[in-house]
Amino acid sequence: MSHGVFLAIDVSNMQTVLGVYDGTRLEHHWRLQTDSERTADEYGVLVRNLLAGASNPRIRGIAVSSSVPPMTQVVDDLCRTYLGVTPLFVGPGVRTGMPILYDKPQEVSADRIVNAMAAYERTRDATIIVDFSTATIFDYVSEKGEYVGGVIAPGLGIASDALFDRAAKLYRVELVKPKHVIGRNTVHAIQSGLIYGYVSLVDGLVARIRKENKVNARVLATGGYAPLLAPESETIEEVDEFLTLDGLRLIYERNAES
Amino acid sequence: MLLAIDVGNTHTVFGLYEGPQLRHHWRLQTKRGRTADEYGVLVGDLLEGVGRPPIGGIAVSSVVPPLTQVIETFCRTYLRIVPLLAGPGVRTGMAIRYDDPQQVGTDRIANAVAAYERTHDATIVVDLGTATKFEYVSERGEYLGGAIAPGLGIAADALFERAARLYRVELVKPKYVIGRNTVHAIQSGLIYGYAALVDGMVARIRRETLPRARVIATGGFAPLLGGECTSIDVVDEFLTLDGLRLIYERNSDQ
Repeated sequence: MSHGVFLAIDVSNMQTVLGVYDGTRLEHHWRLQTDSERTADEYGVLVRNLLAGASNPRIRGIAVSSSVPPMTQVVDDLCRTYLGVTPLFVGPGVRTGMPILYDKPQEVSADRIVNAMAAYERTRDATIIVDFSTATIFDYVSEKGEYVGGVIAPGLGIASDALFDRAAKLYRVELVKPKHVIGRNTVHAIQSGLIYGYVSLVDGLVARIRKENKVNARVLATGGYAPLLAPESETIEEVDEFLTLDGLRLIYERNAES
Repeated sequence: MLLAIDVGNTHTVFGLYEGPQLRHHWRLQTKRGRTADEYGVLVGDLLEGVGRPPIGGIAVSSVVPPLTQVIETFCRTYLRIVPLLAGPGVRTGMAIRYDDPQQVGTDRIANAVAAYERTHDATIVVDLGTATKFEYVSERGEYLGGAIAPGLGIAADALFERAARLYRVELVKPKYVIGRNTVHAIQSGLIYGYAALVDGMVARIRRETLPRARVIATGGFAPLLGGECTSIDVVDEFLTLDGLRLIYERNSDQ
């Protein structure tokens, strides 16, 4: 690690994920709550402590994807003050090497482009990325490696919270797969609706995207609920929890080359 | 005439039946804290608007416990009728094969009763309301249970409240599944995503039971999603009210 390591920071609505790369290898990763009231000094204490636990590697570069605007300044301050590095924020003006066919390219949130790049790097073919986070986000990359667009559905977590908050007689259940689709009690009925229902949403949308693009696109999944839902899905081939971090690494490399 | 009252989590629907014919129907917001006197004024005025027909009986389904007593008081005080509250001890004519039959929401039973009355065959009911509920009735007319997923409306609200960069969109079907802007991407996820959820659940239920099971949809989002789902045979907006009418008749026979 004489030349220093690279730090990837993915700020999403609920959590912020940090990954330390030595070359192409993810050496360490941590997950913090995203809280835009928290200051750069507080994040500084947290991140410095975590890095100390990883024997304080020298950081040569940082790339950040933020889908939470109020956090952007906080992370920028954190990187400059506590890590001594000016971070690269993924956004307009940053080289991605991927044509963005969105109506307004600056409207696509950074994490979606980052995921698309990391996925295409692996498949080199038409690919659908399913990101199970606060929202369930689908992105489609053509076989030529263009980011074409996507689909945004409510995430499993926020939708189930809404069910328990808004339906008077229903209560919170453990998110596990029930034995049967037809539940004979309310706990099993809700577990079925959440797990089999969400898997149906994913498989059905993938089928519709493939049909619309007349291509048997590959399917990669990432995000917090991917390990729970992917085994039940008929379309997801592979889960990579760190797809976004890996995409940040690729973008950083492409920008450092220039 | 029979007054059927379906107290759901978002709306309370009133239906006035003359025999099996639904003559009038109204929809009010379900609001915890509203009093029997307020319902008296509101419903009294709506009934006034249709010439105050004589009401011979009332059947009620409520999935909102705090409002059940309020509705009952309203019926006794303003309509001078003791309502039949669907629930334990009320004859439905349907065997309930649930671990604890008292646990099934009365709207789910009313839907199952009304659906089987039409098909007399294995049937899946999809209620696209506050929650998206699936019920399965066997070919012999037994209620075998179901599944409960978040409804389209509450899930969409959650998306707009909890995801920092997303905003409320009109609930209409976009031209393409792949959206090239955020509005179209969200519309696609809500409309095509929920249609996929329904079709996928129906396929899984059929695989677990009978491939030929018929599918009847109801609930506030049924007109929006019914056309996009390939598995729905019929949409009936008033299935729950009709089930309440049937349950009322089955209890006055005895």
